[in-house]
Amino acid sequence: MTSSDGFAERLTEAKTVSDRLRSAIATVIVGQHGVVDQVLWTLIAGGHVLLEGAPGLGKTLLVRTLASALDLKFSRIQFTPDLMPSDVTGTNVLVMDARGASAGRFELHRGPIFGQIVLADEINRATPKTQSALLEAMQEHAVTIAGTRHVLDEPFFVLATENPIEMEGTYPLPEAQLDRFLVKVVVPSPGEDELTNILNRTTGHQVAAPEAVLHRDEVMALRALCRDIQIAEPVVRYASRLVTASAPNAAGAPDVVRRAIRYGAGVRGGQSLVLTAKALALLEGRAQVAFSDIQRVALPVLRHRLIRSFEGEADGVTTDQVVEELVRVVPTRPEAVEAAVQRN
Amino acid sequence: MSDSAEPSRFPSRFGARARAVRGRLVLRRALTGLALGMGLAGLVAAALWWQRLGPERPWAAALGLLGALAGAAFAWRRRWSDGDVALYLDARLDGKEAISTAVGLEVTDGGAARKILGDALSVLESAEAKRARPRVLSRVHGLAPVGGLAIAYLSFIPLPPAPAGPEAPPGSELVQMANLLGLEKIEALDKLDPRDAEQRARLEGIARDAQKLREDLSKGLEKREAQARIAKLRDDIAAERMKLGTEENRPGLEAAVGKLNQSPHLKDAAKALGNGDLVEFDKEMQKLANMAETEAREAAKEAIEEAARAAREKGAGQLAEALEEQKRLFEEREGRAEALRQLAKELGDAGKLSEQALEDLKEFGESGSPEAQERLADALNDALEGLSEEERKRLAERLKKQLEQQGESGQMNPMTKQQLEDLAKKLATPEGQEQLRQQLKELAKEHASQEAEREKGLGDADRGGAEAERGLGMTPIPLQSPGGDGQQGPGNAGKKPGQGGDTKGQGGPGSKRDTGQGDHQGETKSVPGKELRSKANAKVNPGAPMQGGTLGRAPARAGETANRAGTGALGDVAPEELSGVERSELPQEYREQVGRYFQP
Repeated sequence: MTSSDGFAERLTEAKTVSDRLRSAIATVIVGQHGVVDQVLWTLIAGGHVLLEGAPGLGKTLLVRTLASALDLKFSRIQFTPDLMPSDVTGTNVLVMDARGASAGRFELHRGPIFGQIVLADEINRATPKTQSALLEAMQEHAVTIAGTRHVLDEPFFVLATENPIEMEGTYPLPEAQLDRFLVKVVVPSPGEDELTNILNRTTGHQVAAPEAVLHRDEVMALRALCRDIQIAEPVVRYASRLVTASAPNAAGAPDVVRRAIRYGAGVRGGQSLVLTAKALALLEGRAQVAFSDIQRVALPVLRHRLIRSFEGEADGVTTDQVVEELVRVVPTRPEAVEAAVQRN
Repeated sequence: MSDSAEPSRFPSRFGARARAVRGRLVLRRALTGLALGMGLAGLVAAALWWQRLGPERPWAAALGLLGALAGAAFAWRRRWSDGDVALYLDARLDGKEAISTAVGLEVTDGGAARKILGDALSVLESAEAKRARPRVLSRVHGLAPVGGLAIAYLSFIPLPPAPAGPEAPPGSELVQMANLLGLEKIEALDKLDPRDAEQRARLEGIARDAQKLREDLSKGLEKREAQARIAKLRDDIAAERMKLGTEENRPGLEAAVGKLNQSPHLKDAAKALGNGDLVEFDKEMQKLANMAETEAREAAKEAIEEAARAAREKGAGQLAEALEEQKRLFEEREGRAEALRQLAKELGDAGKLSEQALEDLKEFGESGSPEAQERLADALNDALEGLSEEERKRLAERLKKQLEQQGESGQMNPMTKQQLEDLAKKLATPEGQEQLRQQLKELAKEHASQEAEREKGLGDADRGGAEAERGLGMTPIPLQSPGGDGQQGPGNAGKKPGQGGDTKGQGGPGSKRDTGQGDHQGETKSVPGKELRSKANAKVNPGAPMQGGTLGRAPARAGETANRAGTGALGDVAPEELSGVERSELPQEYREQVGRYFQP
């Protein structure tokens, strides 16, 4: 989808579609609107999601529901310590004839990575070798099996989950690999009303099943439209200032960054900020990114890209606190303009 | 928001809005500058008021205008770019950065661009667009009217009183006096009989200066100038009084004093001459001339002759002339005294004199006291008035007879003989008797020498100068004068303690008051030290010398113990002391006065 006449209508349509998708998901998932929104931003921006939450909060259900609503091929990989890379990517197997004898040729046995919506459940329980096999596919949207490169079907959307508790026997994702996720969504525990609703829905005979409301072409169209969203120079600069200020040795870094952060976000963090903000603007029917879009996506985009220092860990400073401080401290507009705005 | 809004209108619409925003920002800055300028102007006006620069006060308001211009210039230099204006409008109008994005669009014909332009235009044209007007007034701007009011107030109130300036230098005030008492005594110096033409010129110069000072004072003169000129006059008078004791006359003076000292009758006269006190010297000589003892008188005359000769040999011609004049005067006095004694003797023999007159005659002969001479002359005058015609003739006959007897014996002094002849003639006729009475009256008066008369006139002039100084509020400083320091004479020296003096001391040659009549019997008892009290917290009397302090000059005297030979004038000074006044830090106006004071 390219920019042409009727852009406004397409924006409106995109908003309509996204609303429809939210409604479909809401038939299964109670509450968790923020989580759903963040997942949708990532879907439209073309990234991948790392979901973090305690067991039983509906992470897997959310992914399955999304896959159902999107009418895309869904696959699930349950990561375990003995999971091999080939279990993820697939492998060539010798073809046998009807008699059980070798046919003399190999045939590719595709792994679950060849789905369009891939759920990498408890990704931190697999060995780094296996994790890297997944992460390569996430970055390249292709896998190489026995020397042959296989391009994955688009849209390729990985949703990985990890459990912040039961850390024994897990392999925390390396920082370089965390960076491959566009956003890290923290799934909160449901409130009383939400939990009541969940209990009512899930303890009867009837289990809700969402309809497919969004098809592959529409998803790809949304992704293309997302790239058409404009962003003003001052807004891009603001995103850059946020990223720059997250480095402890940066000139404008706040104190908490200097004290609690060892490494800040990088270029990919900035790209992710802008892309996610564009997706947010698109979902809200706008053709341009606002400062507020950057501020809203900053937390899920940057929280997993900041590496705490020993002092930060010892003091219990979370990356969420650091990002919130960055949003609070880094100015959006030039000082004179901000002063004039505040004066009125 | 839709494509229906015409995106092409955005630039003009945004331009108008941006101009409005920038204009208000410039206005705000200009007002801020005006306010700060007026505030500063108020302070400047206050400072001008404080400095009593009245006409300049309203001009301080120009600082306000300058501040406004500076504020506008500053705002123009820091004016916002389109991007800044767009950001401001987005923030104020909640445009979600549509305006900023529209302003920054490089391609405006795409679908997204048109959508953004349309959205931005909608934001700009929204009903709440007036919210985008930057606020112009602030609390700081309140300084402008406050400063203006302050300037107006400070421009109309009266200026503060000027602080008192520095005090005028002492003595710089004008004095105007028609008649300064004392100056007339200095002016009278030109009437003195001078010693020579040079002295006449000097005395007339001093008198002329005094007259000029009187004239200037009548017109008005600075007090210090008047004081300085009086001091100069006194210095000139003092210098004139010391002429006989100058460096060139000094050897002659010392030689003459030495000769006089050789005569036991002339000790006091020698002392007076050594002090340069010619008045006292003249008095001593008068006493000697009055004494009845012929040997003493002859010895005195010889001593004077020798002293005059010695003075002339040493080059002190003026002193020699003064001594020679003194000798002539001595002989005249001697004759007058002898005639007086003869007349008194005859009247006494005739029983016409009282007991007191006879006592006076005795004292006159013994001491030559001028007071006894005066009293005796008065008694003789009275006695002559009481004589009858017969008695007068008889007295004249007796005088003639005595004259003849003395002439035969050759004992009579030629002057005495002439005096007796005159007396006899005068007693023979009533007119002569009247003349005799007049002469007796004259005898009652002192007949001073010319030098003594000059000295007396100079002394009067110096006292007149001191009186004039007092008239100008000064404390006169005693200047060096011959015999003016009132030192004790030898007559004050009593005998050893316990012996009791029985002699009547004579006043020293320097004494003006001590006539030497005091009784110096007895002794002074010792004073216990414990009874001596210091005068604690003594009140200093301004303008008066402290007790025990020394004012004035103390010249060395010939024959006295001194570290250096006295010169009669200011003592010798060390080389480093020369022109010390000029090198000192004294103000210029005092240097001349102080320098003149120390002028020898």
